[in-house]
Amino acid sequence: MTSARTLLDRARIERAVWTMDTRLADLPRRSRINKRRELRDNLRLAAADVGAGRAVHQLGDLRTLADDYLAAEYGEHKRRPSWTVAALTILLVEVVMTLLVHVGRSAFHAGITATNPQATGVYRWHGIRYLVSDETFTYTHGAHTSVGGAWTPLVYMIMLGGAVVTGRLWRLNAAWRRQRRRATLSATDNATGGEA
Amino acid sequence: MAPTHDPQLLKGVLTLLLLRLLAERESYGYEVVGRLRELGLTDISEGSVYPALARLEREGRVQARLVSSHAGPARKYYRPTAAGTQALTEGTASWLSLAAVVHPVLVRHPPASPTPAKDT
Repeated sequence: MTSARTLLDRARIERAVWTMDTRLADLPRRSRINKRRELRDNLRLAAADVGAGRAVHQLGDLRTLADDYLAAEYGEHKRRPSWTVAALTILLVEVVMTLLVHVGRSAFHAGITATNPQATGVYRWHGIRYLVSDETFTYTHGAHTSVGGAWTPLVYMIMLGGAVVTGRLWRLNAAWRRQRRRATLSATDNATGGEA
Repeated sequence: MAPTHDPQLLKGVLTLLLLRLLAERESYGYEVVGRLRELGLTDISEGSVYPALARLEREGRVQARLVSSHAGPARKYYRPTAAGTQALTEGTASWLSLAAVVHPVLVRHPPASPTPAKDT
């Protein structure tokens, strides 16, 4: 029974920790891990005193807690960096480009087979200017294989640039610098403490 | 029954209380909560203390160190930095000055009904 209760308590604590963690996706990885560890440790101590259910309850609303952690890291009113928005931007560019290439290729193929359904020969699609390179279609009795049609480096630049801009990823730099400064302070402090 | 405290009022002085408690004794998150409750803030939410500690750390007013614990993973202890000590001194002076103005007004015995305004 005790073991079952312990497992249940652990599950409650882990649920609270990970629920909060999902809302901290925009924190730098190390900071996020540190907050998770610290919260778990505090919750375990509280659970030993008042039980896991009450310990989790005393935390208050986990959404508010996560928001407060984000505000503590990036400031109350500053616009925060967002990995989620950055990832969505990359996905959006990828989807748009895939559709664009698909539509372009399909139109080119339809154009060839409309005039001659049994086309045989080599045809060249000039792609999409600046975005998709040339593609060579080889037809044999209406069936085709193709080579080329890759995205140009510009597409990848748009993808990365867009992710940085929409996700405000440059703001992570300040957070990383703070992390390094804290680590250095902590190491210095430990060294001083060790000598004492 | 313990009185409840206005969270907004508490939020304003929480930083000061944390700095003060940590200046008295280095502590970890849950221990600080316990100390605040011992002081009478029984309704304080842990969820308001932990981010406040994180904020103080980000602002460089407290620094943390990990101390290994026999009961589990290393525990994060906080203590004020020089900037934190200075902020505590300034904040305390500011709070005492404000309290000196506010307290006498609030403890004054109010009349049964407000005095009518004088005609101007």
